[in-house]
Amino acid sequence: MLRTQEYVLNFGPQHPSTHGVFQILLTLDGERIVKAEPICGYLHRGIEKLAEARTYTQVIPYTDRMDYLAAMLQNVGYVQAVEKLMGIEVPERAEYLRVISGELSRLTSHVLATGVYALDVGGFTGFLLCFREREKMMDLLEELTGSRMTLSYARIGGVADDVTEGWLDKLNKLMDEMPGYIEEYNGLITGNEIFQARTKFVGQLTPETCINYSLSGPVLRASGVNYDLRKAMPYGIYDRFDFEVPLGTNGDCFDRFYCRVLEMEQSVRIIKQAIEQIKEVDGPVMAKVPKVLKPPKGEVYHEIESSKGIIGYYIVSDGTNKPYRLHVRRPSFINLGYLDEMLRGYLIADVVAILGSIDIVLGEVDC
Amino acid sequence: MFGKGLVKGLQITWKEFWAPKLTVQYPEKQHTVPERFHGKFVLDVDKCIACGLCANACPNRVISLNKQKVGKKQYLTDYQMNIQYCLFCGLCVESCNKDALHFTKDFNMNQYFYKNIPLVLVRREAPAEPLEEPAMGGEDQPKPKLKPQAPKEEKVAKPAAPAAESEAAAGKEGQ
Repeated sequence: MLRTQEYVLNFGPQHPSTHGVFQILLTLDGERIVKAEPICGYLHRGIEKLAEARTYTQVIPYTDRMDYLAAMLQNVGYVQAVEKLMGIEVPERAEYLRVISGELSRLTSHVLATGVYALDVGGFTGFLLCFREREKMMDLLEELTGSRMTLSYARIGGVADDVTEGWLDKLNKLMDEMPGYIEEYNGLITGNEIFQARTKFVGQLTPETCINYSLSGPVLRASGVNYDLRKAMPYGIYDRFDFEVPLGTNGDCFDRFYCRVLEMEQSVRIIKQAIEQIKEVDGPVMAKVPKVLKPPKGEVYHEIESSKGIIGYYIVSDGTNKPYRLHVRRPSFINLGYLDEMLRGYLIADVVAILGSIDIVLGEVDC
Repeated sequence: MFGKGLVKGLQITWKEFWAPKLTVQYPEKQHTVPERFHGKFVLDVDKCIACGLCANACPNRVISLNKQKVGKKQYLTDYQMNIQYCLFCGLCVESCNKDALHFTKDFNMNQYFYKNIPLVLVRREAPAEPLEEPAMGGEDQPKPKLKPQAPKEEKVAKPAAPAAESEAAAGKEGQ
């Protein structure tokens, strides 16, 4: 007798729109998704375990490799956690440099997310234009830190090096141009009717589910929940800058995408203010810290707003020069938690749109 | 009106079509590499005192060095970096007290054979003991002057030849 039956489709791990190696087992009824089972772990390196055999300073390069698209923010989160544990005061200039390079990292990450999302839903030109600006930002980061993506710029007690001559002017010039570029993205991607048809009212999240599932970052704010750690619990020197927290209303894919575009504008604002303020701040970029770091016994949890959401570092110290335990709250991993229910009832083509809108980085998901 | 956004997008594409090209034809033309670039390592052998701080600073235990005691000083005989495990974080360069280890702008470290991947920065024999001993046995006054001078000449002369040889060999096999 003829009857329809569900079948299982393997999405990934080599699918280009999974942004890495990520697999979803889709149970399909025709083209509709009945169940989605995310399988992660293909990129697992055991960074948390590796950290147990490294000194506190040696962990810094490993934090780069989690969210390699916004490495500076990962560095700062870890470094600030250790500083909190040891009670180290960071020089003011170093704080400004952390903000500048951190926001620049956030910009590179958001520009990439914007461009790649356009590519995911089928627009190639937007992708190329976004990569053009990302290249300029990465050139600046390279000039500052020596690396393009895995920066390892933050140090416990400050940053690795001061800015080179003329770097701030170059950055200021790019930040002046940035609003024009963002307008181009809006014209090319955001305003495109086909793009809107693909993303509006797709994969909607209510504020309640966002909070219940502990989602964070643009995914949370697109649902209209005003929670940005930079505003809610200012860490570092973020209370000195004037910026807004862009919010969405519908909590759909389009809002999540557009939230990032608006956040780019705010990052530009922060960087511009920081450039103005850093000119009056002189001094060292590194606090006086001992060569061998031995934090007192105890534990610490510190979280900051990364480009993907709230990244938290939990460190247990047993008084030696190596962390007894390091755990990272990775926003990409936690934001993926609701994927199954988000995908249910949608078509296969929407899987790419929804997954892309969460903006995951597999290095961070699998840690 | 439906289609307005599409027309605007096409206008931007049309404008960008006439914008100057940003890409370069790579092997012929190259972008400038910034001063702080994390590239291939070089070791200033004369400055190095074989303390091993860089090896200790490395998160991935990339650096292995051997030293031999010649007279009162440590003499670096072997300095090798397993560059395939290097994170290029710069902690080793930062840890060097004597400013001996540096990054260069050279990013092309490709090798054709696996055995050529480790970066051998120093490989040399320690100077023979008898060469050292007369200097050691001498009077107090000329000793500090003579001692650093004698092995220094050795240092300059010796590492150059084997290093060049190995590099040439590596290059040959690489091609």
